[in-house]
Amino acid sequence: MASLWSKISAVLPADEDQFALQFSDKVESSVVEMLRRSRRQLYGETERSSRALTAQIVLDLSWERLNTGTWRHVDKEWRRVYSYGCLFKVAALCRENPSEDEILQAVRTCDMGLLMGAAIMDDILHTIVRLLQSEIGKFSREEDENEHKVKKTKIADSLVPAIREEFAVPRIKCPSLESFNTDYLLPLKPVILEGVIDHWPALSQHPWSIEYLRSVAGCRTVPVEVGSRYTDEDWSQTLLTVNEFIDKYVLNADGGKASGYLAQHQLFEQIPELKEDIRLPDYCCLGEADEDHITVNAWFGPGGTVSPLHQDPQQNFLAQVVGSKYIRLYSPEDSDKLYPHQSQLLHNTSQVEVENPDGERFPRFAEAPYLECVLRPGDVLFIPVQHWHYVRALELSFSVSFWWS
Amino acid sequence: MRWFGFGFNAFGQICVRNESDQEESIDAVKIIHPTELSCHVDSSGHRLQTSRIRASWSRRASLHSDGDRCVCLAGFGSCVRTESRSCTDVSITESHLTLVFLDRVESWDLQKEKETPAWSMDIKPESEGFGDVTLPLVPGGYIDSKPPFYHTLSPHLKAKSLALGAEHALLLSASGAVYTWGLGSHGQLGHGSLLSEEEPRAVEALWGMPMSSVASGGWHSVCISNGGDLYVWGWNESGQLGLPSQSLRKASQQNSNQNTGDLCPHPATSSDEELQEEKKQDVFISIQAFPALLDVTPPCEIRAVSCGSRHTAAVTMKGDLYTWGWGEYGQLGHHTLTSSDEPQRVEFFTAEQMHVVDVVCGTWNTFVAVVKEEEARSQ
Repeated sequence: MASLWSKISAVLPADEDQFALQFSDKVESSVVEMLRRSRRQLYGETERSSRALTAQIVLDLSWERLNTGTWRHVDKEWRRVYSYGCLFKVAALCRENPSEDEILQAVRTCDMGLLMGAAIMDDILHTIVRLLQSEIGKFSREEDENEHKVKKTKIADSLVPAIREEFAVPRIKCPSLESFNTDYLLPLKPVILEGVIDHWPALSQHPWSIEYLRSVAGCRTVPVEVGSRYTDEDWSQTLLTVNEFIDKYVLNADGGKASGYLAQHQLFEQIPELKEDIRLPDYCCLGEADEDHITVNAWFGPGGTVSPLHQDPQQNFLAQVVGSKYIRLYSPEDSDKLYPHQSQLLHNTSQVEVENPDGERFPRFAEAPYLECVLRPGDVLFIPVQHWHYVRALELSFSVSFWWS
Repeated sequence: MRWFGFGFNAFGQICVRNESDQEESIDAVKIIHPTELSCHVDSSGHRLQTSRIRASWSRRASLHSDGDRCVCLAGFGSCVRTESRSCTDVSITESHLTLVFLDRVESWDLQKEKETPAWSMDIKPESEGFGDVTLPLVPGGYIDSKPPFYHTLSPHLKAKSLALGAEHALLLSASGAVYTWGLGSHGQLGHGSLLSEEEPRAVEALWGMPMSSVASGGWHSVCISNGGDLYVWGWNESGQLGLPSQSLRKASQQNSNQNTGDLCPHPATSSDEELQEEKKQDVFISIQAFPALLDVTPPCEIRAVSCGSRHTAAVTMKGDLYTWGWGEYGQLGHHTLTSSDEPQRVEFFTAEQMHVVDVVCGTWNTFVAVVKEEEARSQ
């Protein structure tokens, strides 16, 4: 059987000459020199520690550049340099009979490159992380036998708000494109579509579960929001592996205090295996932008996670795959009753705690009409562009959102 | 005066080892022991005195106070030499070398071998107030390393010195007031928020407390009061403020786990530790958006301070050197590669009975000027 390193070398350029390192003027020649040194070490005979060190220098320097200025304004060239640093580090880790721990480190390194870097060499980090994952599969197969089952906890009735008929978001079963367009999209009316994602492998062939996510994505690093709401002072973001996230925040969720939420992350770009389990809703074709511009985000967390009342600049299909969520919707026409934050960063977010509003500070909030629903597995909620929405997970939940225009 | 250096040396900017095959070994790349810089020698064999050092990530520029008063470069591409005779001041970034002469200022692009400077300006010798200011200040304004290079400063600011961070600037006025502007995302402006400022804005928290010196790291700011106290603000990611840093404590905890061979700590103990950590959590500082007085133990007066991208070094009136912040390239001079979130004395100079008179940080390294203790006493 081929060794891991021979599989990795097979996807690398055959020799130094075929390994191009081209950058714009933004990347100083001293940095390019360090990248060249890494490349030379990759094909030459050097001590392992030297290889790791040169790669780390590239990573440390590009990390500083990625943190210079606002993320939006960081030149893509520096994200490419960072990805090369990750590639060289992975190569240093996997060169000589890597231990399981080193392979896991290599997976984390690939993920850091995928999260913070930019695609290089036909997305080579994607290719390599797949090789690494299949290697890890060999280690973990035995453990799978005695996997522990998660007890499905019953939702306490008090936590599920009673939905009054007159406020309920309408439901419709598999409407035609045309009727969805005329009845909901053009007038920008929220609706729950039923039966449109039943064919997703995520709901049929291999239903998503903690065990399934562990097996497909357990060792992958993802961004996690820590804190009950993103508007809170102590809210922060951190990077964890899916296994760490599940152990610390999903299985041992202590109901509020230190809650973690894998939110608004393009998980499906990072882990193509999971992308196979979902489909783009056909209704997205009613938009003007082409498919490549649809943003698909994962929202995975324990019961109790809250997204404060906010609005987004695109149309949204929120597909519920696992668990249930309580959702409240307000029309953009009533924005003046919702008290958006004044700061530029949070001006799309309301200051009001929807389920516990401060009537003295926000007296007009009670006047704002709304719609509400409990979204259950298989439901797809259409949230029209700019519609204010508040979301609270009632139990362990996995949703997929599609932002489209 | 003798100069020592320690920290990042991947380009030989501190010292060059002859054995080329060892050039890339860890010992050659990370200089953890303060190492004396070799003297530059002029054509007649005279050893030149270095009066000033400036360093970027990959290079060091030394300005000589005798001989031709020229600038010598060490480190990456050091063969590139620019005509620098009779130079009076120098500064260096990753892309540009700036030289001040009696009648002009020139900025040279280090990426391209060109015959002419990328930018230059003439100085009239009678220019008001010039001669008191040092780079990056120039008459009427200051220069940085991106086009258009020159930026004007209001004469009302009466700029005495200026320090540039990765994306922010720190100005000291003749009266001792501190002004900051630029990106504020890491609290580096000291106005108590994370907002940016387009124009120089006085740091109100320091109002009425005249400062004598300012320095800037990548995302942090430091100044010395007339009384010799240190004030710090900005990002504390690697302990560069000298305040408790959570990421450092976490890293040291992980290291100690690894050192004891305990790769998978017992789940119960690890969660207990985490609980205790969480209880202590509120004392950690990640971003300090207002100036904070930094206590150095034992209490001492500070005379000079300089910052690398993520570390800080300060010289006391007594001639001791203290360093703190990121240490993974040996830039703290403590014979280790560990970072520190509290000021620690660099014992080497004390042990060698050397009196530290100045310190200049490169991005990931540190350069120190010393005299013999007897000389210091006679001064």
